[in-house]
Amino acid sequence: MSTSTTVTETSVGAGDAVGSDGSGAPTPAPEPDVSVEESARAKQLKRIGIGLGRTLLAVLGTIVVFAIVIAIKGANPVDTYRALFNSIFHNSNAATDIALRATPLVLAGLAVAVPARAGLVNVGGEGQLLIGGVAGAGMALAVGEALPGEVTLVLILVAGALGGALWAALSVGLRLFAGISESVTTLLLNYVALDLMLFLVFDPWKDPNASGQPTSRPLPTSQQLPVLGNGRIHLGVLLTVVVLAIVALVLKRTSWGFALRVVGGNAEAARRAGMRVGPLLISAMFVGGALAGLAGAIQLAGVEYKLRPLFLFGFGYVGFLASWLGRHQPWRVAAAAILLSALVIGGDSLQIDSGLPAATVNVLMAILLLAVFGFTGKKRAA
Amino acid sequence: MSFSTELMTGAVLGGTPILYAALGESISERAGVINLGTEGSMLVGALAGYAITAESGNPWVGLAGAALGGALLSSVHGFFVLWRKTNQLATGLVVLFLALGLTSLFGVNYVQSTINSFQTIDVPLLSKIPVIGEVLFQQTAPVYVSYALVPLLWLFLFRSRPGLYVRAAGERAQVLTSYGRPVRLVQMLAVIGGGALAGIGGGVLSTAYTNAWFENMVQGRGFVAVAVAVFAARSPFKVMAGAYLFGGAFALSPLLQVRGVGINQFALDALPYVLVIVVLTVIGRRGTSPAPEGLQAVFEGGASE
Repeated sequence: MSTSTTVTETSVGAGDAVGSDGSGAPTPAPEPDVSVEESARAKQLKRIGIGLGRTLLAVLGTIVVFAIVIAIKGANPVDTYRALFNSIFHNSNAATDIALRATPLVLAGLAVAVPARAGLVNVGGEGQLLIGGVAGAGMALAVGEALPGEVTLVLILVAGALGGALWAALSVGLRLFAGISESVTTLLLNYVALDLMLFLVFDPWKDPNASGQPTSRPLPTSQQLPVLGNGRIHLGVLLTVVVLAIVALVLKRTSWGFALRVVGGNAEAARRAGMRVGPLLISAMFVGGALAGLAGAIQLAGVEYKLRPLFLFGFGYVGFLASWLGRHQPWRVAAAAILLSALVIGGDSLQIDSGLPAATVNVLMAILLLAVFGFTGKKRAA
Repeated sequence: MSFSTELMTGAVLGGTPILYAALGESISERAGVINLGTEGSMLVGALAGYAITAESGNPWVGLAGAALGGALLSSVHGFFVLWRKTNQLATGLVVLFLALGLTSLFGVNYVQSTINSFQTIDVPLLSKIPVIGEVLFQQTAPVYVSYALVPLLWLFLFRSRPGLYVRAAGERAQVLTSYGRPVRLVQMLAVIGGGALAGIGGGVLSTAYTNAWFENMVQGRGFVAVAVAVFAARSPFKVMAGAYLFGGAFALSPLLQVRGVGINQFALDALPYVLVIVVLTVIGRRGTSPAPEGLQAVFEGGASE
């Protein structure tokens, strides 16, 4: 297997870097007097080595291909990379920026990862994030100043999670009720959610005092997530870390997490084993939607304080990519989300430094993902 | 023109880009490959069509470029899905991301430019028929081409040998293999052909409908096209009906706005997407759109690892 993959990788154009994988490729002849344990360990080390080598190759290939795209556009690839690098690493605010950007993204990634454990494809993060923000803002409007700020804040977060959960459950309900793939309905519901938010922001919830683009009324200070120290990092960042740990634990240690994996592996076998597949699918999507909805509410209460037309625009899709990049393993998904946040922030600065549109970074992300999907990790059976 | 005639005319005009893309997706899905990158192929087609029309002055050359652009993008999808065995749904979305980035990178120069777009041509005699003539025969040339394409694709899929291979690749790949036909190659060609049609759909959108290029201008029409292919059971004539239905839904909002109807704009904008979901639900309940066997595995298959 190792020889055949090396051959295909060479043919893709990252061939110049294939040599760096050489350490793993030639199989060392097994020594006759090695104990079984030792050879098992050697095998494991070798597997890790090959994995690392392939990932390195994927990254190198990505850098080369993206450079070619930039060159075709007529910009200087070296300058572009330098601008990307500087904006991420030579910027005193970078760590804060990345943490703030990654917070909703980690949750949006988990919103894809949890249903994916059960074999569900949730492409609706975009809409679930928005509905979370809308439900949170709606709760704030409904409660007004009637309750203490902290209580309202908790209600906002709960409403956001519940809103996202119900929005997502709609898709899996349609799958069970009418057999429509949730990948199609979650996608289409994104547009419905966007139109719903735009309707609210432009019409009934419009802040009469806002100048420029329409927004909803900002949350009063007492209902905003408190900021830690003097910086911009808010309590929602910590909350996200806690939620991440809980999700990782629940998926790994509980019978529910196990049941999701069984259903995702083979739904028919799960059904025959007496598992109730329908409720499991609904619960997986419900939890996924709740995570995305929570992200929307956290963004509302911690960063934006009001809804605006570009509220969390694109985060759902990048979260989807983060989940796949992290192979739906919670901690890896979080790492992928942080990596992608850094890239997106770098992309924003491209516009200023190199005059390239901010969306250029989508090309870089897409190439990286294709390289990782296609050329690293286990190869799935046809 | 009466409101209903105007709406139907708008449905055909606005439905044509969806029609091309949904026909393309039908071929791809018949071969067992779902391509959410259809949205991306439309986007690339919209830019290529617009840019090449702007440079050459000829919208037909633009459409040829749109087909090529859509085909190239879908070949990326095909390569990874068929040769690297990546997940079809996730890969399609990544390909869409690639298209979003590429089109905004290369599209900036064309946001301001104007083109020599497709003009309405009245078909002699036929266009004089009341209502039907106005709706069907006072359209642009790409609309007339699509009238011919629908039966031709039906003939291709159900009455030709290559069409048989395409369907076999999606339904019973083993049979194709046992007859010594290369399954993957057939699937790849179906994906590329589907991408070319989606590219044309995007090109029609920018050179015969909006007559402008702007970032992310396809706005979910590619996803709607995928849904149309699904509920029309990948059959060309049903796809045509479905495409016009959603063309009408997309056309309704601007029509009502012009007339100053007091319905919120965003409620109308959501209509096409809600309509797709409702139609899918009704048809799904009746259980009349079986997917090719190869596709069912994609929709139901394990997404994890």
